[in-house]
Amino acid sequence: MLELTNLHARVVPEDGPSREILKGLSLSVPKGEVHAIMGPNGSGKSTLSYVLTGRGGYEVTEGAALYEGESLLSLPPETRAAKGLFLSFQYPLEIAGVPVMTFVRAAMNAQRKARGEAEVSAPDFLKLSRIAAQQLRIDPEMLKRPLNVGFSGGEKKRLEIYQMLMLQPRFMILDETDSGLDIDALKVVADGVNALRGPDRSMLVITHYQRLLDYIKPDRVHILSAGRIVKSGGPELAHELEKSGYDTVMGTP
Amino acid sequence: MIAANALPNRRVEGWRWSDLSAALAGRDLPIIPGDRHVLARLAIGARRMAGIVVNAGETRTDIERVGGEGVDARALEIDVRDGASMSLVTIQQEGDVALAHRKVRLGQGATFRQFVVAGGAQYARIETEIEVAGSGAKVELNGVYLVAKGRHADLTSQVVMQADHAEVRQIVRGAARKGGRGVFQGRFKVERAAQKADAKMEHNALLLEDGAEVFAKPELEIYADDVQCAHGNTSGQLDEAAIFYLRQRGLPEIEARAMITRAFLIEALPDWLDETIHAEVEARIDAWLGAVS
Repeated sequence: MLELTNLHARVVPEDGPSREILKGLSLSVPKGEVHAIMGPNGSGKSTLSYVLTGRGGYEVTEGAALYEGESLLSLPPETRAAKGLFLSFQYPLEIAGVPVMTFVRAAMNAQRKARGEAEVSAPDFLKLSRIAAQQLRIDPEMLKRPLNVGFSGGEKKRLEIYQMLMLQPRFMILDETDSGLDIDALKVVADGVNALRGPDRSMLVITHYQRLLDYIKPDRVHILSAGRIVKSGGPELAHELEKSGYDTVMGTP
Repeated sequence: MIAANALPNRRVEGWRWSDLSAALAGRDLPIIPGDRHVLARLAIGARRMAGIVVNAGETRTDIERVGGEGVDARALEIDVRDGASMSLVTIQQEGDVALAHRKVRLGQGATFRQFVVAGGAQYARIETEIEVAGSGAKVELNGVYLVAKGRHADLTSQVVMQADHAEVRQIVRGAARKGGRGVFQGRFKVERAAQKADAKMEHNALLLEDGAEVFAKPELEIYADDVQCAHGNTSGQLDEAAIFYLRQRGLPEIEARAMITRAFLIEALPDWLDETIHAEVEARIDAWLGAVS
């Protein structure tokens, strides 16, 4: 479903010199699979998520990123979103003055319009919202408040998954979704994510720690270091990392 | 000092970003002499000066529409007596030169609330002068300005607190596009007798494109020692990280920008606006955001 080949990308700050972050990253995530990416700080995990979703300020200098056989790299972020790409942000943005439900409905309809589908009706939208909120144990009152404004770290992460359940994406990137969550919240969020697992959906779970992977079980685990995948394996690789640390695991050829 | 029939130009403090002399050049307008504010003297010359008295304990709401062909100069002198309450909504629309001045005097426990929405004109200035003469009076001054290419909008205000326990709240938000100019000048003067004054001024502007201009001059002048006075003033661009967040969820860039700008502006709408006016102002903002994207 997602094929990355020899991807090189650099961050281009508005001031200051650009820096190469991804240095020949190759990765294949087949349809229906959940892959985890683990790696130390600065290895390029967030850059990868931004390059895939088309954030400004990053430049791909070499390599390819194919999503269902089509190159992603020249598409604007909203087109990628309409094709089913969803990023659960590490630090969700606060959007003052825009209530959660207003925003999600606008996003849902914009995606539908881009795909040539009819808009969601108000009753259908409310029904979907009620189900998603219940699943994630979100207080419905929260959905009337401005998006993420004054929400705790945990609430913001829940709300990312709420948006994911509402938008029903086909390829999900979870960037450090476990940070800021206590163990109970983690379980609720993981249940929400797992509800979206299916033969037509794939996921890239970016995390520092093995903890999240106890609840969202990956098919494959990759270790990212200095902008490349240096090691891949089954779920046991995450346990090995947790036990011995990055240095030891990456040191083993 | 300006001579009786001369108009202030950009070398005059308070008119630096809104040169009235240049705006009215070549137009032979009647202006009466005297000590009144220049905009009031122009309004009297145009026979557009009105007096409003809100008697003790009474409540009044006015909606005023400013702008149109040529020069629209008008002024109000408003006397809000003890315990009375006046709400004024000013909608400034398209036009060549739109000038509005209001001078308000507040009695004891009186309330004056104002909301201005200005779409700008070749030259538009809406100036409010408030004298808080009675103790425990309340003032709310809110405003929104929207300036696209070739448009100018100036919201200037002065609140002079002369009596104790005044409560003043001001929130002005503006958005400017390339070639548009927004001006905010706000002055709070707290005189020695105005102890326990509680006054907050806030002006925030969004420069939506390169080549947009916003000039702001917030001023606090305080002579009383037991007061709470604060002001906040920002102007900047839309947060690109927030725009990306919205686009990642599927909103096209233009819609994402409009959504954030709209939310930013709507926050300056006071909760006392009636539904019809609220809806009209929202529609005006939406049209502006849609028309010039």
